[in-house]
Amino acid sequence: MSIMTNAQETTDPRSAPGGTPGVTRATLRRNFWRGVWRVLRRKPSRMVGVVIVAGFAVMGVAGPLLYPDHLPRDDDALYAPPSLRHPFGTDFEGTDVLALVITGARYVLLTGLATAVITVALGTLIGLFAGFRRGRWDTVLMRVTDVNLAIPGLPLLLVLSTVWKFESPLEMGLVLGLLGWGGIARAVRSQTLSLRERGFIEAARGLGLPTTHIIGRELLPSMAPYIAMNMLIAVTGAVYAQVGLFFLGVLPFESNNWGVMLNLAVFNGGALTTAAALPYLMAPLLAILLLTLGIVLIVDAMDEIFNPRLREE
Amino acid sequence: MITGTGITKTFKQRGSVLGAREVRALREVDFAIEPGGAVSFIGESGCGKTTLGRIIAGLETYDSGEIVIDGVPMSGLGHRRRQPHFRRIQLIHQDPYSALNPTRTIHQTLEAPLALRAKQTGRSRSWVDARAEELLGLVGIDPGYVLPRYPHQLSGGMRQRVVIARALTMDPEVLVADEAVSMIDVSLRLGILGLLKDLRVRLGVGVLFITHDIATARYLGDDSELYVLYRGQVVEHGPTETVITRPVHPYTQSLLSATPVLHGLEKPGAERVVPTEALDPSRTDEGCLFAPRCQFATQLCTEQRPRLSHDGTTLQEHACFHPRTRSVIPTGTGTETEMGADTLADTGADMGARG
Amino acid sequence: MTANPTAPAVRVRGLTVVYKTPVGELPAVSNVDLTLAPGTITGVVGESGSGKSTLALCLLNAVQSPGRIAAGSVEIDGLGDVVELGGEELRRARGRHVGYVFQAAQNSLNPLKTIGKQLLDLGRSHGVEDLRALVRDAKDLLARMGMDGARVLDSYQHELSGGMRQRVGIMLALVLNAKVVVLDEPTTALDMITQATILRIVREVHDERGLTTLVITHDVGAVAEVADNLAVMYGGRVVEHGPVMEVLGSPRHPYTRGLIRAIPRLSGDISLARALPGRPPTLGTLPAAGCVFRERCDRRMDVCDTVEPVPLTRDGRTVACHAVDAAADVDANAAPGVAAGAADRTPTTARRKEYA
Ligand SMILES: Nc1ncnc2c1ncn2[C@@H]1O[C@H](COP(=O)(O)OP(=O)(O)OP(=O)(O)O)[C@@H](O)[C@H]1O
Ligand SMILES: Nc1ncnc2c1ncn2[C@@H]1O[C@H](COP(=O)(O)OP(=O)(O)O)[C@@H](O)[C@H]1O
Ligand code: SF4
Ligand code: SF4
Ligand SMILES: [Mg+2]
Ligand SMILES: [Mg+2]
Repeated sequence: MSIMTNAQETTDPRSAPGGTPGVTRATLRRNFWRGVWRVLRRKPSRMVGVVIVAGFAVMGVAGPLLYPDHLPRDDDALYAPPSLRHPFGTDFEGTDVLALVITGARYVLLTGLATAVITVALGTLIGLFAGFRRGRWDTVLMRVTDVNLAIPGLPLLLVLSTVWKFESPLEMGLVLGLLGWGGIARAVRSQTLSLRERGFIEAARGLGLPTTHIIGRELLPSMAPYIAMNMLIAVTGAVYAQVGLFFLGVLPFESNNWGVMLNLAVFNGGALTTAAALPYLMAPLLAILLLTLGIVLIVDAMDEIFNPRLREE
Repeated sequence: MITGTGITKTFKQRGSVLGAREVRALREVDFAIEPGGAVSFIGESGCGKTTLGRIIAGLETYDSGEIVIDGVPMSGLGHRRRQPHFRRIQLIHQDPYSALNPTRTIHQTLEAPLALRAKQTGRSRSWVDARAEELLGLVGIDPGYVLPRYPHQLSGGMRQRVVIARALTMDPEVLVADEAVSMIDVSLRLGILGLLKDLRVRLGVGVLFITHDIATARYLGDDSELYVLYRGQVVEHGPTETVITRPVHPYTQSLLSATPVLHGLEKPGAERVVPTEALDPSRTDEGCLFAPRCQFATQLCTEQRPRLSHDGTTLQEHACFHPRTRSVIPTGTGTETEMGADTLADTGADMGARG
Repeated sequence: MTANPTAPAVRVRGLTVVYKTPVGELPAVSNVDLTLAPGTITGVVGESGSGKSTLALCLLNAVQSPGRIAAGSVEIDGLGDVVELGGEELRRARGRHVGYVFQAAQNSLNPLKTIGKQLLDLGRSHGVEDLRALVRDAKDLLARMGMDGARVLDSYQHELSGGMRQRVGIMLALVLNAKVVVLDEPTTALDMITQATILRIVREVHDERGLTTLVITHDVGAVAEVADNLAVMYGGRVVEHGPVMEVLGSPRHPYTRGLIRAIPRLSGDISLARALPGRPPTLGTLPAAGCVFRERCDRRMDVCDTVEPVPLTRDGRTVACHAVDAAADVDANAAPGVAAGAADRTPTTARRKEYA
């Protein structure tokens, strides 16, 4: 009998039994990144997305270093039309618009990143905890989430901006993040509720594995594509929110950034009525659209990156 | 040794239109699993099999009754103190597709519980990898092939073997196999059944096997016991072979009659029993639970509930006022011997496949 | 066999279906010939991944991308070659001519609409004028299958048990009067008693309505209960095909033998039963030349590695295997035409009544 069972599903005879290759964490990680690369290459659009996002990242990190602290003004060329010297023309002071976009990227992107990290971290933590513990914790946390969702963001920011200058993008990110985690918490909670009924979570509990293991190693990876997608989308959301706030002039503008550019172009330059300030308006808009496009193109790959079945072909 | 006495469980469903509705999932179920023994529970879907399995594995609470694990009654213990005892009983999930985490390799899946086990027993880390290979060898799959792979890269049969190997990491005393073979291809079922039987012999692990397909219960070993569950009540209980070849309860007979006949290879039993209607769990609880579907029901059956007991004439216990043996299972037609002959002839070839 | 004069025949010829994979297009169904005689139930059995569902989808010309029908034809009497149909014509044929009960039909109903609503949607999409008559037919069919038609039509999917949903699936496949019906795994995930009920219903409705039916399953037992003919698939090929009693009673192809030997049974010597060794094939692991079954075959010969066996028909049974060919040549010289098990062949109609 014992021989019979062993003969049932003898696996690949070529790999000798017992000769286990060292499946270390390092190899797994290497395989993961190789898989990510494979997934990204699968569609050209994804590579385009990667290039765009990488470009913005470089802009955010190195942009301000490329230009002097105070951008040169050219009083002879106010609202200059696009030319070789100024691909997007100049602004009301004769400063190169491209330079403004590039140096303004850091504030915008840092805010976006900070917001995304905070929303996702808070949302995931609260959603996971509520869904996993259920019962009283769930009730309390979900009420808190409801309150979060009900907070009117714009009026609150209006009030805040009277006392707070938001000089650092991280401060801005913190506020936007604290305002925006509700949706993700809700979604993560419902995912957790359905996942915790799955066989493998139940099995882990039956084996007596610690809760940290169950949440960190079993639940979280299953939700990774979902969380990563939300994170990317949160970046664009934060960029829009923040640019919008500056554009409306809700926030005092101390520094140069895309929202400020839009505001000045429309309200000072009259870009909507005269053609002269049009490039000044279009440049930051284009930057925002391009960033969104890049992110959307990458989001498409998240499912495949985190699902081994899709990743390994 | 694990025993259960009078296990009762009622689910209260809230939110139904008619207010709270009660489902009596288990009614005073008694059972015992010897070390290395095999016990099967059979019944239609909704008869309480899964509920019982989950209770025995400590994943579900029960309303009344007592479970005794190795002499320790569980009812006296708080939740925390129970856990180490229930860890000795491992559940093998029905669905090998959802029982393994799709984002983790088999190595990762086995490593976590083994590391925990190593800590509990004061063993070194190097023991973990060796033990993982040993367990996979034990369930009949090649560790070198399986360990680095993800669940989706394995066949259903291999996955179920991995699930069994994972359950074995805790050195359990009993494996609870809930429909462990119904989701995998028929062609691979006997392999898993053979493995369970093998583990009984080699490791002394007890097996509690839950299924709606009685035929599979035969393959756990000659010494196995069979419990037939109907609407939460055990209606027949005895040695597996006896209950299958000489069933006395009409419900057992219905289950046996429903097993497909391999026409051409076997002839249907002469007295096949078909329930008069479909199972309706919300039916009245008066009298014999099976009476509404039983073609042999009498006045007595609708008035009183028969209790599970020996009547002295049969080897098995039953809960029926009118027990009678009926020939419901198929018989061979003779062509089988021819098939059997060459089966024997090629056993040798298969055995050579793996030394 | 009770050939019904109104039932259409289905002739599958040289059918090849390929799926696009990263390593190129691979065949899930390879050059399959299969005839469904009018008025019969044909069972297709095989392990997971053998191409059963793919073959069945071809009867509707419904293979989804990344798959496509690469070659062959599916002729249905009164409809023509389904492979050639397209657009509106094809959409109308589905449901009207060919009814399909999908694998896991238990879960394929819309959870947000009542069954009745889904029935009306089906009727409208096929331009049924008299919706009242449609509902009446549906109720009759449901009653025929032992259910309260009015109640079922008012129910949502989650209010029905697995067996009831399966019957609803069958009703939806039949209500437009399709004469060819395909059931993909109709009883998988159902318990034995419910399975027996569903199989009995399939058989009865088939006889009453004069259908040509194709039942797909990995469970030989389920097919044995209902089918007249049995086709065994492996690796996208039909390796054996013939009357069910004969195929089960004296299987010829080594795969069929292995499959039957692997069935857990209520009677007989359990020590003779054994699982099929090896793993079911997948698209990627199928060998390009020679016999697809050879890795798991106990009768493998040298020729099997290089030459793919062709299906040969002898006394009404088709087998594709070199070993069987060789044996038959010897047999033919000794005692022509004696098939084991043919002696106790009982008429199918008699057998059908047994479980009624
Ligand atoms: N969309 C698809 N893309 C790629 N390959 C596919 C696709 N659908 C099916 N296949 C492959 O085609 C082969 C036949 O699949 P099919 O679904 O017909 O099998 P089956 O016999 O019905 O199996 P089961 O019993 O699991 O339903 C399998 O190897 C399967 O992996
Ligand atoms: N968590 C639950 N809540 C409410 N009812 C349940 C629950 N689990 C099971 N039941 C009910 O208990 C009965 C027995 O179920 P189960 O043990 O799953 O049966 P089986 O495994 O035999 O199919 C069924 O009527 C089922 O609907
Ligand atoms: S007690 Fe009566 S109703 Fe119940 S199973 Fe026996 S004969 Fe049938
Ligand atoms: S052709 Fe050869 S390998 Fe294939 S089934 Fe026949 S004997 Fe076996
Ligand atoms: Mg169950
Ligand atoms: Mg299928």
